[in-house]
Amino acid sequence: MAAVLQAVRARLRRLLGTDENGTVMKIRRRNQFNNFIWKSLPIIRLILLVAGYAWMLAIPLPNLGRKTYIDENALQPGQVNTYWNWPDVLRADRYLADLEGLRDRNASSAEQAAYIVDEFKKLGIPSATQAYSFTGTSGVSNGTNAYAIHSSPRASGAEAILISASRISRTGDLNLRGISTVISLAAYLKGSSLWAKDLIFVISDDHLLGMQAWITSYHGSEQSGLVADPLTLSSGVIWTALNIDYPGHSFSHLGVFFEGLNGRLPNQDLINSFGLISVYTGGVPILLYDHRDPREVPHLESKLSIIPSWLPEIVKKQDAVKEYGFRAKNILRHVGYQARGQTSGVHGLLHRFRIDAITLFAVPATGPHGFHAIGRIIESTLRTMNNLLERLHASFFFYLLVLPSTFLKIGTYLPSVILVSVSMMFTGLGEWVDARWYQPKQSSIEEKAANGQAKSEAIPRPRPVLKALSIVLLTHLAGIALFYLRTLSLASGSETMSLLLFFLMASVPLIALTAHPSPPQAVAPLSKTLKAFNLCFASTVISVTSVLNFSLAAALAVSLGVPLSYSSPSRSSLGIKLAGYTIYAVLGFGWLVLCRKEVQEAIWNWEVLGAWFALFVCIIYSPLVLQAAIVSVLPP
Amino acid sequence: MFWRNNILAVLLLCCTWCLATSEEFHEALTFRPLQDGRLATRFTFTTLLRGAYPRDPSTLQEEDESQHYAIFPLALGQVLREYAVTELHLTLNAGKWDYDHWGYPDEPGVGTGAELWAWMGESAARSVDERWKGLRNALSGQFCASLGSLDEQRTTSPELTFRPEGSLPQWGTTHQLRHGTLPSEHVCTENLTPFLKLLPCKSLTGIASLLNPHRLFDADWHGLGVHVRYLENEGIEVRLSFQSVFDPVRYSNGRRDWSLRSVFDRVIDRSCPIAHSSEIRVAIPKEETAVAITPDSYTTHAGFVYFNVSNASKPLDISMSWPDEQKFEYGSSQSRGRLSVSITNHMPITIQTSYLESMPWLLQFYLHSLQIYSNGVSRDDLISIVSYIPSVPHVRPTLFQAILTLPPKSTLHLSMDVIKPFLRYTEHPPDAQRGWDLPPAVLVPLLHSNSSTLDPGLSNPPSGFEQLRLPRRMYTPVLLVDLATPDFSMPYNVIIMSCTLIALIFGMVFNLLTRKFTLIRVSPEPK
Repeated sequence: MAAVLQAVRARLRRLLGTDENGTVMKIRRRNQFNNFIWKSLPIIRLILLVAGYAWMLAIPLPNLGRKTYIDENALQPGQVNTYWNWPDVLRADRYLADLEGLRDRNASSAEQAAYIVDEFKKLGIPSATQAYSFTGTSGVSNGTNAYAIHSSPRASGAEAILISASRISRTGDLNLRGISTVISLAAYLKGSSLWAKDLIFVISDDHLLGMQAWITSYHGSEQSGLVADPLTLSSGVIWTALNIDYPGHSFSHLGVFFEGLNGRLPNQDLINSFGLISVYTGGVPILLYDHRDPREVPHLESKLSIIPSWLPEIVKKQDAVKEYGFRAKNILRHVGYQARGQTSGVHGLLHRFRIDAITLFAVPATGPHGFHAIGRIIESTLRTMNNLLERLHASFFFYLLVLPSTFLKIGTYLPSVILVSVSMMFTGLGEWVDARWYQPKQSSIEEKAANGQAKSEAIPRPRPVLKALSIVLLTHLAGIALFYLRTLSLASGSETMSLLLFFLMASVPLIALTAHPSPPQAVAPLSKTLKAFNLCFASTVISVTSVLNFSLAAALAVSLGVPLSYSSPSRSSLGIKLAGYTIYAVLGFGWLVLCRKEVQEAIWNWEVLGAWFALFVCIIYSPLVLQAAIVSVLPP
Repeated sequence: MFWRNNILAVLLLCCTWCLATSEEFHEALTFRPLQDGRLATRFTFTTLLRGAYPRDPSTLQEEDESQHYAIFPLALGQVLREYAVTELHLTLNAGKWDYDHWGYPDEPGVGTGAELWAWMGESAARSVDERWKGLRNALSGQFCASLGSLDEQRTTSPELTFRPEGSLPQWGTTHQLRHGTLPSEHVCTENLTPFLKLLPCKSLTGIASLLNPHRLFDADWHGLGVHVRYLENEGIEVRLSFQSVFDPVRYSNGRRDWSLRSVFDRVIDRSCPIAHSSEIRVAIPKEETAVAITPDSYTTHAGFVYFNVSNASKPLDISMSWPDEQKFEYGSSQSRGRLSVSITNHMPITIQTSYLESMPWLLQFYLHSLQIYSNGVSRDDLISIVSYIPSVPHVRPTLFQAILTLPPKSTLHLSMDVIKPFLRYTEHPPDAQRGWDLPPAVLVPLLHSNSSTLDPGLSNPPSGFEQLRLPRRMYTPVLLVDLATPDFSMPYNVIIMSCTLIALIFGMVFNLLTRKFTLIRVSPEPK
């Protein structure tokens, strides 16, 4: 056997030429290829970067995306007759009148909760209140939630559906109609025996805080600063939830809000079934958020559209451009919520507990829809949720909704960010290799001038890894310190404090200016090593984040991609160095001074709801930019 | 001639046997209006095989004596004899019993899902476990329920909580308990049909004719039970029960009035001729409001109204109404917490209760982390652990029995850390993303014997053989728990991915192992 193999190998070698030569050729080819890649690295990374950004811009293109569809067969949306009718509307009107009476005499939230609990009890549904108080940097907030749990006939009580309305709408108005809808629904839903899951009705105080207190108590988790009464009634596992936000008198469209805390999204089946039911059962058109298509309301087109007005009329008139503008508007709104880890409504607080939840926002208008339509839509949506035998798991958890019924799959948008991240990784690895080898430049020029045959050998040199790593570590530690200082209660909101922090953060690294350049042949420049670490880390962060929170990764790719890749120490004067440094400092810490309101909001989100964005910016984003800034002031 | 003689002999034998064991059949229907406007009903069909004994398990190898029943359900009798079961309890329930509003149930077994427990004598011939397996498969076929899946992974012997309700014969061998629950099993028509077949009058006459599946399975709570016990000096008793909680307010526009017609959509046209007693009892509510009960051919005794179905004029439609009440108003009584492990003692005295938790192995207890809070104060002295049998993964469930001391007017909170192990992928049920239903915990208050009677109205049942007290068991609601579940739409992707990786790794290693390493001098590239 072995002999046969030997013979075959010998013959093959003879066929391919002498064995010596074949291997040498192979090695040469490999070397050539490596050299080609190495030489064209700057072009490759530029191409990757440009391709990534171009892909991002292409996401709203009208011909991308596919129609939404129902994936879970059990849902059967819109397949039931709804029996919600005018008597139930009348009942909702009565609750509304009572609630308006309470509002007019400035009743406290505890009083309102007591009224709601009383109404639930009159319906024969066990109900209770929950008082809570939250102490944070921005003071103390108190409130009272009211909730009721209807144990459905024949159900074991192991599963439940949550229907909620917060007292304050996302618009800042009172959500009285939303609350009336929920109580009237409770009265109506109790009349049927077909519910397979318990129904939990929650009227939470405030906009977000009340629900945060309720849902954390329901799941028995604790949160620092939050003191909430334990819940006296309990039910089973909540799979799906609907939050109703109906602030106006009537509504024209129902808007869907679905982004949760820290970029979590509910299963797409929930949004799709609600959309189908709203259009076909309730006859109410649906919107993403409260975005109306500018083409539908020509008199408001200039106000609603985000297409810049300086574009020539001929371009603006194009339908494709209009479509692109509308899709881009939806995507930007989505990225705005998801990247900042913000919830777009009360529903977003539930995603943390594996509850698929959305908010139905009744877009305020003069008509034509009211309690009758919203009641039927909610009834039918609840029937659909009631059909579930398992958790929602079939449809998509990663998606980009560009229109209410059009979405992009993860495969069509994720590569944009990954391309940028790959480009950054290549740059970083290039710097790392570059730092290792010293190319004696003078001699090479001489040799070239002398038409020299052999290239000068590159000399290996040590890289200051420890130094670079300690700078990286120090910048991240500084980020932690910054976060701590910024969240201290005495620092909150004060303008001088913000300015002080900004200058502190921006000026200390300037010590790097005093660093002396070391002889390039003895040791690699610190700037190169630091840049290599900086880029490799940034690239890793971006690609890891991209599968958790695409919007955040995209925002990072946009803000870090070019600045970090093209940061370089300059030989020029101190003035130019400082100017470059200032740009980096503003990019990294400008938010401290320039968007104080945003910062305040992000810190509130962190303290109260546990959104990671503020922390992420302080200990990941800013330090990364700071490292690039240090690279730019270090000696080459 | 020989045959005729033989038949004669058999007939003779039959007669003597019938004389030795006489059979009695009693049927009863109890109505109890509840404080939240609902109506609890309970059908009981009791057959007593007077003078009979359970089969001695030591005779299992011999051929059994022949069985001849006139009223006693043969299908059940054969199963009992085949597996030598002394006492048997099977309940199939749907819904969550609301102890706070509905009070204590007339039939104590109200845990959601299926529950089966049996006392069997030990025998060298066929082990208890072997017979338990046969029993659950036989009952599974008999009642069209998935009791077959009550396998070793769900079977325990909590002897403290499930005491025998009858007596155990003295055979010189000990009796053993086998108990299993299946919380995800639901009761429906396919279970009721075989249940009705066990009745002597089926659902044609008598009280059983009210068992209308369309109405029964629309009730807020409903459950059927089969209870077999041996009563010393009496015989073997089979009690078939159907308990349900209706909501007349839901049916009749806000009023809580009810009648047989409105609740069951049927009336009693004929009485069951072979029933020794057949009566309908209605509990009179202890409230002020006036109640009208028709027809007026009833007798009143200890808070109950009794109708004798056999004497009453047919068709019999009993109704109860609150004439002074326009619309039923729900009281504003505070509903108490029912967190899965919070127990509230509303009584002004200290109560001891046994606490049983039998958990499938997919939830494993960290017993050291058991904490007990009474009104917010940590009180470790309130629990004494009686027995704890840890689970064996893939084989045996956990059994945890303890005695809790409930101080007067207080709420006890128990908490314990648990670990959720990973399952083999074949162990997931078809609806994997649903999670796992966990069985209810069972609490049995250990009261003084003189205070452990049932509700005053129920403590004097008219039929003589019902006087043995039923123990008070309380079931907590069931739970649904999520375990780490693989995405079952993914296996092919995973297989493809892992095969690719293995192929790559293999290729590399193979390459390294079979390659010969030599030094090759590469001269500078010729230009």
